[in-house]
Amino acid sequence: MFSVCNLSGIIDVLRPAQGIADVKNVGFNQVMIEIDFRHIQEECQEVDDYGPYIKKYYTRLLDKCNSECIGVYAIRLNYRFGASLPSCSKISLLEIVSASLSALGTMPCDFLILDIQDTGYAKRGESCLTQEECICIANEVKERNTLILFENQYHDFNGNFIRGSFSDASYTRNFIDELNRLAGFERFGLCMNVGTFTLCGQNMQEYASSLGERIKSVILRDCDGIRDASLLPFTSSSGGQSHTDWLSLIRGLREIAFNGGLILDMKDTAASFSTLLRPHLMPLAKETAVYFRWQIELESILQKNKHIVLFGAGNMCRNYMKCYGEKYKPLYTCDNKNELWGTEFCGLEVKSPEALKSLPQNCAIVICNIYYREIEAQIRNMGVSNSIEYFNDEYMPVFHFNRLTRGV
Amino acid sequence: MIEIGVQTKNIVDDICPSNGFSLIKKSGFDCADFSLNSYLSNISLYSLQKNKFFDGTISELEQFFTPHRKGAQEAGIRINQMHMPYPNFVPNGSEDLNDYLSKVVAPKSMQICSFFGCSHIVVHGFKLARFLGSEEAEWNRMENFLSTLAPLAKELNLTLCLENIYSSIGNQIIEGPCCNVHKMIDRIDRFNDKYSAELLGFCFDTGHAKLVGLNFEDFITNLDFRLKVLHIHDNDGIGDLHQLPFTFTKNRENACSTDWSGFIKGMRNVAFDKVLSFETAPVLSSFPGELKNDVLSLIAKVGRYFSDKISRE
Repeated sequence: MFSVCNLSGIIDVLRPAQGIADVKNVGFNQVMIEIDFRHIQEECQEVDDYGPYIKKYYTRLLDKCNSECIGVYAIRLNYRFGASLPSCSKISLLEIVSASLSALGTMPCDFLILDIQDTGYAKRGESCLTQEECICIANEVKERNTLILFENQYHDFNGNFIRGSFSDASYTRNFIDELNRLAGFERFGLCMNVGTFTLCGQNMQEYASSLGERIKSVILRDCDGIRDASLLPFTSSSGGQSHTDWLSLIRGLREIAFNGGLILDMKDTAASFSTLLRPHLMPLAKETAVYFRWQIELESILQKNKHIVLFGAGNMCRNYMKCYGEKYKPLYTCDNKNELWGTEFCGLEVKSPEALKSLPQNCAIVICNIYYREIEAQIRNMGVSNSIEYFNDEYMPVFHFNRLTRGV
Repeated sequence: MIEIGVQTKNIVDDICPSNGFSLIKKSGFDCADFSLNSYLSNISLYSLQKNKFFDGTISELEQFFTPHRKGAQEAGIRINQMHMPYPNFVPNGSEDLNDYLSKVVAPKSMQICSFFGCSHIVVHGFKLARFLGSEEAEWNRMENFLSTLAPLAKELNLTLCLENIYSSIGNQIIEGPCCNVHKMIDRIDRFNDKYSAELLGFCFDTGHAKLVGLNFEDFITNLDFRLKVLHIHDNDGIGDLHQLPFTFTKNRENACSTDWSGFIKGMRNVAFDKVLSFETAPVLSSFPGELKNDVLSLIAKVGRYFSDKISRE
């Protein structure tokens, strides 16, 4: 699993140097480039003009990516058709696909993401492209090792969002499987767009679980569920809670052992921040993407150590024991509250932190308390050099019905 | 002709229920959705409080509701559906509370439903997916609960109607139990086959469906004969407002933001011939009392409009 940065909102396509530097400096080495179909059609008189225009418009960006060793993970084509898709528009779409990939030259590109919606079909949740048309697109990318990904859509019904194309998991599963069967190998898959699920109040865990390994990428974006926006995750909230159901997403991606690209799409956050603040925003963006990967792969932290002890005998320890205690049984836990020493908590003996001094070196300490940095400093100041891991219970597979409360 | 109904909350009171039923009839309705949930509110249950209403024996409860039944009969209003108090399970509630809900409130609600001569009672699913880890696990718990009610439902010839409901996180609404129509079809059919009776059906709630982006036409069409009762109301796509259909617009053209044409198409597709029932009590509390009669008449007229469109070939 790896992090990808959507360049929209961050770079100026015609003057990409500063933006690419901002992206590279924080450690993103893969990017997604968005191509707006409507913009191309507005700028070009004829379909034959698409290729030269795209090549001209994106060449500086692609050259810069190449020279800075930034990989193009995906090209995302987006377009909203206002009426049933006329055949000339489908020809235009094929032309744009061809031109976009041709502009890449020899640069590899793992995915072509189709963010395409036709309102007539979208309302029924179906694809606006037939199987034959999809196979035509596949032929355009045949020479490359590029997969075509559909994306879950919404349908804008007079300002209200209704689930659109590829939002029905069983339809999407069957559609993709049939296309891959016709293609003779895996050429098609799905990209989950988190913001679209939020706008339609849809359960991402169920969806992910149903589609499984057909999900190749996830576009991480936040929004308030009312307006379509691409915000940095965790920045849309009220009442102290996020508007996006991150629990559902993380549970779903864990269930399917997701190992694809997490594409951070924060174009609206990036555009609203001053360029002067960009150097401070980008590190947070990168860490956010890394955080999602860490959460999805949480169990791998527990798997890598033969022996572990926990630090903390409260709710987080309780949640750990409920979800992972049987599979990754700790030797004991410890806590700074001396009244707990010598007692048993969730089947574990509670010891003083001093007990950590006698740990064998191959035993890791897993901090089950939100005061991670303070506790890590405490452990190090004690002279304990064992490996320290952070555990987190915000996105557990299951939860207790209630939380423990203890007196102050 | 398709009958039109409305929920009794904010119309029928316990002091003189016949007045409320007369008003319902005069306003142009044929049926009523009896709001049994008003007698044990969800607000108090989520605060882990219960009242003593359902402590009464069935005879006492029947005696209590006799004036209501009489009022409906005299007014010529048929109680076509009822709403069981909800929730049926409180996640942080005590075992006593949850046992009370499943073993006392639920069965007594069903018996009251039968007392009114009504054969459909709406039941909310358990909201437990976040705790139990998946929608499947949540349904399994719910199915166990429904199984405990099945023998009584069969004896009373009742259909328990599951309703599409929502959950919320951070003031954002997301789909809750019974929002996946394909799963619900399988589950309803399997349950009914098991008991060789139509013990489970569905209540389609338009307002809840709008909040979570469900396609009305698709959902209703897929439900088909399993669709037994309705909760018709509207909202702004943000909050569960239970307002009058056609109230809300969101674009410059001020076109209605709710897909009522999709609703009508779906109903036509399944040749719906039951009751178009409105769950619009908040409309009556938002309009001044002096306009109550007019508002109710308007709701009924919207119902007639739907009925006419659905029936038209």
